[in-house]
Amino acid sequence: MDSSSDEALDIIVTNVVATFRTRCHLNLRTIALEGSNVIYKPEVGKVLMKLRKPMITASIWSSGKIICTGATSEDEAKLGARRLARCLQKLGFKVRFSAFRVVNVLAVCSMPFAIHLIDFTKNNRPIASYEPELHPAATYRIKNLKATIQVFSTGSLTVTGI
Amino acid sequence: MSAAGMTCPGCGSTNIVDDDLYSQAQLVCVDCGSVVSEGVLANDPVGGSDVSFSRTTAVAKKPCANQIKGLQRVKAICRILMVNSEIEALSQTYYKMAYEHKAFLKVSLQKKDILTGCCVLVSCRLLNWPITIGTISCLLDADPMVVGAVYQEMVKNLSIEAPIVNVTDVIEAHCHDSVDVPEELAENSRDLTKRAVALVELAADSWIVTGRKPIPIMMAATYLAWQSLKPNKHRLKFSLDKFCQIAKVKKLKPAMKRVAEIKEVLCKLGKEIPWVGGAMTPNNVIQQVECILQHRYALLRRAMRTHEDALLEESQASFTSVVKQNGSNANGKEQPGDGDNNPHALPEHRNWGKRVLFAPPCVIHPKKRRVEQCEHKDVTGDEEISDSEIDSYIRTPREARDFALMQQMLPLSDSGKS
Repeated sequence: MDSSSDEALDIIVTNVVATFRTRCHLNLRTIALEGSNVIYKPEVGKVLMKLRKPMITASIWSSGKIICTGATSEDEAKLGARRLARCLQKLGFKVRFSAFRVVNVLAVCSMPFAIHLIDFTKNNRPIASYEPELHPAATYRIKNLKATIQVFSTGSLTVTGI
Repeated sequence: MSAAGMTCPGCGSTNIVDDDLYSQAQLVCVDCGSVVSEGVLANDPVGGSDVSFSRTTAVAKKPCANQIKGLQRVKAICRILMVNSEIEALSQTYYKMAYEHKAFLKVSLQKKDILTGCCVLVSCRLLNWPITIGTISCLLDADPMVVGAVYQEMVKNLSIEAPIVNVTDVIEAHCHDSVDVPEELAENSRDLTKRAVALVELAADSWIVTGRKPIPIMMAATYLAWQSLKPNKHRLKFSLDKFCQIAKVKKLKPAMKRVAEIKEVLCKLGKEIPWVGGAMTPNNVIQQVECILQHRYALLRRAMRTHEDALLEESQASFTSVVKQNGSNANGKEQPGDGDNNPHALPEHRNWGKRVLFAPPCVIHPKKRRVEQCEHKDVTGDEEISDSEIDSYIRTPREARDFALMQQMLPLSDSGKS
């Protein structure tokens, strides 16, 4: 393990999940008919709408609740959500953008060394748990931050949580 | 009414006794024989008893039928696995605790069935009996992921800290004597196990085991151990498929990759054997496996030293070439000296696997990732959104009409075809 190198580690945010409400009922058939980039899923009762810039996928329910995923920053998530609300407004719905909330943020980071997962789990029990037959990474849960870190043997880390 | 303190209305005596005639309670005066009072034949008070029926018939709470069946299943699984009595007792205790826990009280019967296997699994782990989730899922005929999920939920709710299973311990349970197999293919299970365990330990030291599923590794180690115990032409030509057939196990796809990875490590070590000349390839390394395993620690040290020396030579060579380059460009031409180094810094950080001898295979052979464009630097979230942008997401009325028409036509054409 070369710990003498001074390389900075990049923590890259790869996904931000946010929700908001439109405070009005949405007719999913209308959205499916008049919107492009739209997938209608009647069996689940929702519509998936994809925006190009920022690259966001939104799940739209008829109750007016919308979940946006795919943004790479919180500001981008807000912009995408507002674009979506404007789009729905143009389709004829009385949309009021409200209750915008970031629900989950996912980030990745890579260590320049390999990690021995069995020793890592033994030294960090019970915060860390590792089941090689189920998942290749060890799960490290930080309770007070409500964050979960997946530690891979290649040195990659995936952080999820608010 | 009690007999005490009563006087006979006939003779005035206080000598009144209880007398049961035909089970009818009576108070009779001894002196004159007159009946002072008589109870009704049925002694129940009017309007029902003070004590409710369920309380009079109440018994100590017994486990329900499903719990009893579950405990019997736990016992059956323990008997099939031939575990000792301590494990059996502990699993039954855990099953009782889990069944009565509020998290599992109202779950489906299928989940309760999986819970039986999970209790056996956790007891085996706590008492150092090597067993895999795969074995338990086979016994329960359930998906290993579902079993794993129930297992993790149970461990969390009952606050159990169970150790992880070591692959080398499990492999002994999986290598058994080969029966009804031709003489030339048969092998003593003790030798086979010893050789396979050594191969797994070598794989663990060279980053092949960590993060991977254990069963394909065990399969690969057993196969290579079997080949190396008698490395004749016949065995070397025997494929993993056929080996799994004679061992009567289902071949797993990752096992092929593990075989290749272990052979790669063996080649790296085989190169360091001083008395073996010629190139070491995956084809001729099996003959040297016995030798490699016997001296593996010494060979590992030699291999690391050779690799370090090679790296040192390489860095010295690149340094001298950079010095020569800077020297030739020192005639006033602008050379962004730092620019040369910086593009290499980041890829080097990502490709640290190329600099070490042993590393997890995903690092040594990384997948090519496409470069993501970072557009989010200038986004604030509150910018103006222009109409033209939004219009690109909305169909024109004509497009919408055409789409609706097509949707109507599609089911008609389908019914036309069928």
